[in-house]
Amino acid sequence: MNLWKRILPVLVLALALPAVSSALDLPRIVSADWLEKNGSDPAIRIVDIRKPEEYKAGHVPNAINLFYGSWAVKRNNLDNQLPEDEDLADLVKSAGIDKATAVVVVGKVDTTTDQVNATRVAWTLRYAGVAQVGVLDGGFNKWSADKKPESTDAGKVEAAKGKMSPNRQFLASKADVTAKLGKVILVDTRLPEFFFGIAKIPIVAREGRIPQSVNLPSAWIFTKEGAFKSREDLEAMAAGVVGKDKTAEIITFCDTGRLCAGGWYVLSEVLGYQNVKLYDGSTQEWAADANAPMVKYSWK
Amino acid sequence: MKKRPSDDPALCGQCHEEIAGNFKKSLHYTTAGLKHGVSPRFSPEEAKTFAGKVFPTACNSCHASCGDCHLKSPVISGVSAGLLQRHRFVKRDEGKTCALCHGGRVYPEFTGEYGGTPDVHYQKGMACLDCHSKSESHGDGTAQASRQERKERPSCVKCHPPGKETTEKAKSAHAMHGAKLSCSACHSSGPYRNCYNCHLGKGAEARPGFILGRNPRDPKMVTTLRVIPTVRDTFASAGIRMEKYDALPNYWGTVPHNIKKRTERTRSCDSCHEEKELFLRKEVLLPGGSKANEGLIAVPKSLK
Repeated sequence: MNLWKRILPVLVLALALPAVSSALDLPRIVSADWLEKNGSDPAIRIVDIRKPEEYKAGHVPNAINLFYGSWAVKRNNLDNQLPEDEDLADLVKSAGIDKATAVVVVGKVDTTTDQVNATRVAWTLRYAGVAQVGVLDGGFNKWSADKKPESTDAGKVEAAKGKMSPNRQFLASKADVTAKLGKVILVDTRLPEFFFGIAKIPIVAREGRIPQSVNLPSAWIFTKEGAFKSREDLEAMAAGVVGKDKTAEIITFCDTGRLCAGGWYVLSEVLGYQNVKLYDGSTQEWAADANAPMVKYSWK
Repeated sequence: MKKRPSDDPALCGQCHEEIAGNFKKSLHYTTAGLKHGVSPRFSPEEAKTFAGKVFPTACNSCHASCGDCHLKSPVISGVSAGLLQRHRFVKRDEGKTCALCHGGRVYPEFTGEYGGTPDVHYQKGMACLDCHSKSESHGDGTAQASRQERKERPSCVKCHPPGKETTEKAKSAHAMHGAKLSCSACHSSGPYRNCYNCHLGKGAEARPGFILGRNPRDPKMVTTLRVIPTVRDTFASAGIRMEKYDALPNYWGTVPHNIKKRTERTRSCDSCHEEKELFLRKEVLLPGGSKANEGLIAVPKSLK
C-alpha cells in the first residue's frame, strides 16, 4: 500500500506531462494576435532569425535570436545546406528546443528571400526532429506594423538536453531525385523564367530545370505585404499543380534549397500533404553535373 | 556648413576631453598601420615620396571621425548609409559603422554574407565591441605604428582558457597542437577574402581562398594567412619602385572572422596531415612574389 502511495503521484505526473506538451496545438501559420496571446507559454519557443543587429533593436517578447545563417550554411560548395547533424543538434539544443517544444519562427518579409527564410528554418527544425513548428505570418514587419509589444532584452534560455534524431523523410538527395525521376511529383519553386530556362543565377551552371517537373513559384504563395495567401488560395494553387491526392510523393526544389522551403512548408505543413521532401542541393548541385538531364524552352 | 565637423577631435573634446585626446593618437585616426605595414619595402628616399605623395591622399583620407561611428555611417566610395538614429548620437551600432569600413573582408565573413558559415560569435548575437575593446577604437593615448603594438587586443583564450574543454578530444587536440597552431588554423570555417594585384588608384582583385602557413611575425606558429595585395609595381605611378620589396612576404597572419566549433580540420587529422592542399607550398606561391614568401612554407608530416 505504501509503495502504491509513493508510485501513484509519479504515475499521475508521468501521464500528465505528455498531455501538457501535446495540449498545445500550434497553428502552422501563426498570426500576430495568436502569438501575442500565447507567446509567454513556456511550451513555446520563439526563434527570431533576423540579424542580431535587427533583433537587438526590437523583437517579439520572449524571442531568442538565432539568425538565418546559422541554420543554412555553405557545404561542399553548395549554398543553403543543412549544417552537419551534430552542429544542428548543438544549435537546436542551445535554443532550449527539444522534440516536444512548439517553435514559432519569426523572420522579416522585405523580400521573397526574407519570406522563405522562415520556412527554410521551419523545415530545418522539422528535419532536426521538432514535432511542431509554425511561422509568424507577415514576420516581424507585421508584428511591428500592428503595434504589438516589442522587447530589447536579450532572451536567454537553458540549453536543452537529450538526443535529437533527424527526420530524414523530409530530405531528398540528388540520388533520390535521380532514382525517382518520373515516379514522383517534382515541384520547381522558382519563377517561370527560371523554370522555362531563359534565366539563371550565376552560381547555377546551366539554364533549365529537372525533367518532368512542374512549376509552383514560392514567390506566389505570399501576398505583396509578405503574408501567406489565404488557405483557400493556397489549397487551390496546390491542387492545380500537384493535384488533390495528399498521399502523393512530392519533392520541391529551386536553385539552392532556400526558395523551395516555401513550397515545402505550404504543401507539407499548411495543407497536409503527407509525403513532401525538399531537395537541399537543388539546381545548384544538379546542373553542376554535366550528365544530369535538364529541360528548357518548354512548359512540359 | 562645415563638412565632417567632428573630423577634428577637438570639437567633441570640448566635453569628452580624454576620449578625444586619445583618439587623436589612435590608429583609426592616424591610419599609421597602413603606412608602417608597407614601409619596410621602401628605400629612405621612397619612404619620403610615399609619406608626401601617397599616404595623405590614398591612405589617410579614409580615417574615422567621431561622427563616423557615433552619428552616421561612414562614407565608403562616396556613399554613406546616412544617420544612425536620426540626429541622436549613439554609443555603438556596429552593423552600420564598423561593418562599412571593414565591409570588404571582416564583417561579411563574420555574418556569413561572404558566402560561408557565419562566425559562431555572431550566431550567439555578439558584435565587434564584444571582443574589441573601446580602447582599441578610441586609442589609449599612446601613438602606435600598428595594431600589433597594442597591449589590449582580442584573444580567444580570454574567454576559452585551455583546460576548460568539455570533451577529451578537444582537450587532447589543444594540448597537442596549442604551441604550434593558432586557434584560427583549425577553427576558421572556410574560405575568406584575399585581395590580389593592387595598383594605386585602380584597386585590387578579390577572390576567396584558405591558406595555412607560418606566421611571418611568429614563424614557429602555423596560422591562417591572408594575401597582401601589394605587388612590385603597386606604387609605380607615384614613382616608387619598392627597392626593398622582398623585405616583406606577400602573406600576413590573419584571424578570419568565420570561426566555427567544428571544421574539417577538427574532424579529421587527414585534412591537414595527408591532404596538404590548404597549406602554402612552393608550387602555389604567388608568381613574381616576394622572396620572403618561402620562409612561410610549412607542410605537416604524414601520420602514416
